[in-house]
Amino acid sequence: MSNKLDSRKLRLGAFLAVMGPGIIAGLSDDDPAGITTYSQLGAQFGYQLLWTLGVSTIALILFQDLGARIGVVTRQGLVGLVRQKYGARSGMLSALALVLANIGTMTAEFAGIAAAGNLFGVSKYITVPLAGIVVSFLVLRGSFARVEKVFFLLASVFIAYVIAGFMAKPDWSAAAQGLLVPSMPLSRDALFIATATLGTTLAPWGLAFIQSYAVDKRLTKEDLKLLRVDVWTGSLLTGIIGFFVVITCAATLNGSGQTTINDAAQAAVALKPLAGTLAKELFAVGLIGAALLAASILPLSTAYAVTDLTGRPAALDDKVDEAPLFYATFAAITIVAASLVLIPGAPLIRILVLTQILNAILLLPLLIYMFGIARDGRLMGEYKASNRMLGVYAIIIGLIFLCVGTLLWFTFAG
Amino acid sequence: MTKTATPAKAVLTRKGIQGSLVSVAGIIGRPVKDQDGKDLGKLLDFVVRHGGETYPPVSGLIVRVAGRRAYIDGARIAKLTNDEITLSSAKVNLTEYQRRTGEQLLDGDVLDHQIVDVNGLRVVRTSDLYLAPLDKEIRLVGVDVSFRSFVRRIFPGTFGRKPGVDQVIDWASVASLADDGGVVRTTATREALSKLRPADIADIIEDLEGREQSALIELLDPDLAADALEEMEDDELQGLLRGISDERAAELLSHMEPDESAEVLRDLDDEHSESILAQMAPAMAKQLRRLVEFDETHAGGIMTTHMLIVKESDTVSDALKLLVEHRERDISDGVTVVDSKGKLLDHIQIIELIAAKPSEKLETLVKAPFPTAVGIETSLDDVIEEFSNNRGSSVIVVDEKGKPVGRILADDIIDAMVPAESSGFAQGSGALS
Repeated sequence: MSNKLDSRKLRLGAFLAVMGPGIIAGLSDDDPAGITTYSQLGAQFGYQLLWTLGVSTIALILFQDLGARIGVVTRQGLVGLVRQKYGARSGMLSALALVLANIGTMTAEFAGIAAAGNLFGVSKYITVPLAGIVVSFLVLRGSFARVEKVFFLLASVFIAYVIAGFMAKPDWSAAAQGLLVPSMPLSRDALFIATATLGTTLAPWGLAFIQSYAVDKRLTKEDLKLLRVDVWTGSLLTGIIGFFVVITCAATLNGSGQTTINDAAQAAVALKPLAGTLAKELFAVGLIGAALLAASILPLSTAYAVTDLTGRPAALDDKVDEAPLFYATFAAITIVAASLVLIPGAPLIRILVLTQILNAILLLPLLIYMFGIARDGRLMGEYKASNRMLGVYAIIIGLIFLCVGTLLWFTFAG
Repeated sequence: MTKTATPAKAVLTRKGIQGSLVSVAGIIGRPVKDQDGKDLGKLLDFVVRHGGETYPPVSGLIVRVAGRRAYIDGARIAKLTNDEITLSSAKVNLTEYQRRTGEQLLDGDVLDHQIVDVNGLRVVRTSDLYLAPLDKEIRLVGVDVSFRSFVRRIFPGTFGRKPGVDQVIDWASVASLADDGGVVRTTATREALSKLRPADIADIIEDLEGREQSALIELLDPDLAADALEEMEDDELQGLLRGISDERAAELLSHMEPDESAEVLRDLDDEHSESILAQMAPAMAKQLRRLVEFDETHAGGIMTTHMLIVKESDTVSDALKLLVEHRERDISDGVTVVDSKGKLLDHIQIIELIAAKPSEKLETLVKAPFPTAVGIETSLDDVIEEFSNNRGSSVIVVDEKGKPVGRILADDIIDAMVPAESSGFAQGSGALS
């Protein structure tokens, strides 16, 4: 009798305990770069390109789900697994792709903090170094867990877009059409923002993060169901928030003829229907929360993934001389990213969107390696992807190729 | 984990070996030629067979010939350098290579895979492997786990293929666990592993991943493996048991302390724990089934059933003999004395036995202070209270008829009192929150 009760309690406990990484990854996807990119998508093209967000969300769900499976089944991180399967060069390439993409994304987080600081009238030369120091300190001293919830709460301010979206009285039928009927103006601007949307939604760091998480927490196949629920929930949440950001901006900014976003204050205008004169403050708080949340996880998960190259992933309880690669990666990401934002006159909003293009480009090798691992029966056993699933993965990879390829063509040859 | 002894360089220091080492990472992809110097194809992999030898011989090559993965017998290698392989004949059998049990592919299964550095007590990835002629065959003698060699391999041309001989450690000092079908059982790695402390092995097991983890468990002596398993975190252990055969799981659990095994079984789902129990000796399975039934919040659920029971009519020397037989168990601090009907009389410490005359009957030693006895259904809180009241090192659990069925030692109490950490994300190395 008491046994039954215990088992129920345990199951609920297990569920609550496993709820997490997917949602963290999801909410961190709605980081400053994500919000800015989605805002730009809505402001510039109205409802027309909503479908690119839909496709990105489906891609996010499928590849996060694959990453979770790979992590649980092989119990290895992505980079280590690539080295094992494809050799030294591929291992190094995947590590470099991840580090580069994450330096980009980290730069975007700092740019978000700088932009939010500007809204409050505080110089980036104060906010960015401060954020870098605070985040590194919290993470390296292991006290991140205690403030995680605070960041999480701040980041969830962006849920305000869901309410703002309704209050802005968007054109729902145009939104439905934009979401379900793909159409693509063949212009560099359209390709640019579509590629950035792919890159910010299906970010490389999220893929490495979910896999490292499963390995680090030693999740087993029994935990996989719950992990997948979490991953799906988190990914859908990303898509839903993104959807409302786009329609809010389509209804407010695009509707009033404001089609370009040059600074955070312009993006914040979208929240006016909800927050009125406090729109700027609300937007800034969301930016700071989301940026700090992502900036806390990013350098750490990258450092973790990179050390997987050498055998055992390093951890925070290792000393600096025991895990030089771990700390070097951590420091490199934080310092390079902060320095880039601190360059005088650096265009913050431009950085936010450009880094997401970099993400999309660097996604390609990582997704191809994941594809190769997914179809490897020796590694994946019963979890080997079916041919139909592999076909879907291939279509998504092909689509990103197409976006990146035509964008580069438009940029350099067109 | 600290580095202990320096790597055994038995073979590597032998005269001539250093100069003749060939880097596996360097030669993969290089040409394979016939005796006239004509290109036959590109080297894809080396096949080694494990017959319990410390330095496994290369039994064959896999060569890309006319678009196929052809197998060439190792005996036909005439010359092996860092740049190419020359065969003693030009005949090539064009059938596709099929893996056989006990075969390991050096590039496919070992290079860049995780191995255990037994001397350094750590899990590393192989950056390179080294072959050398030894005892009339080409054998795998060394392994390089340095990051520098890994980085070197990224460069093209001869620089990328240059072996960094100074960083090579002896093949005998690592445990390679990557294999298909069978498990690599080299006597050297087994011996090396058997010298480690169970807690170190538990650390290594936790650092390994998936297939390598199960392979290490298969490699260990069951007693040592069981000791290591007792040191592991609960959920880690659960995951591990799911990865190995029921037969092996049954063997390991039989070697663990029964109360620990019961705790593990209790946490597994019913189907899995039944299929493991089915593989055990009937008496052991019966005992464990009973223990599993007990609730963890009661005396029966935390006790160990290992105890040395002697009759009051036995002599002191009988009791001492029994203790010597069980000296390796941590329950061997004394004997539990029962009367002719099996009822508990006393627990006699080893020191009292040593002080007594060997021929003396145990009944003469039965006197106060008597041990604390509790029933199977006694709640954990009451057991703890008994402990603190009596300051003893153990309490004895008796059934309804007063017969002793188990003991609760101080460490069982500590285990029971430390709240079980929640499973899943609450644990882990803490690198990711």
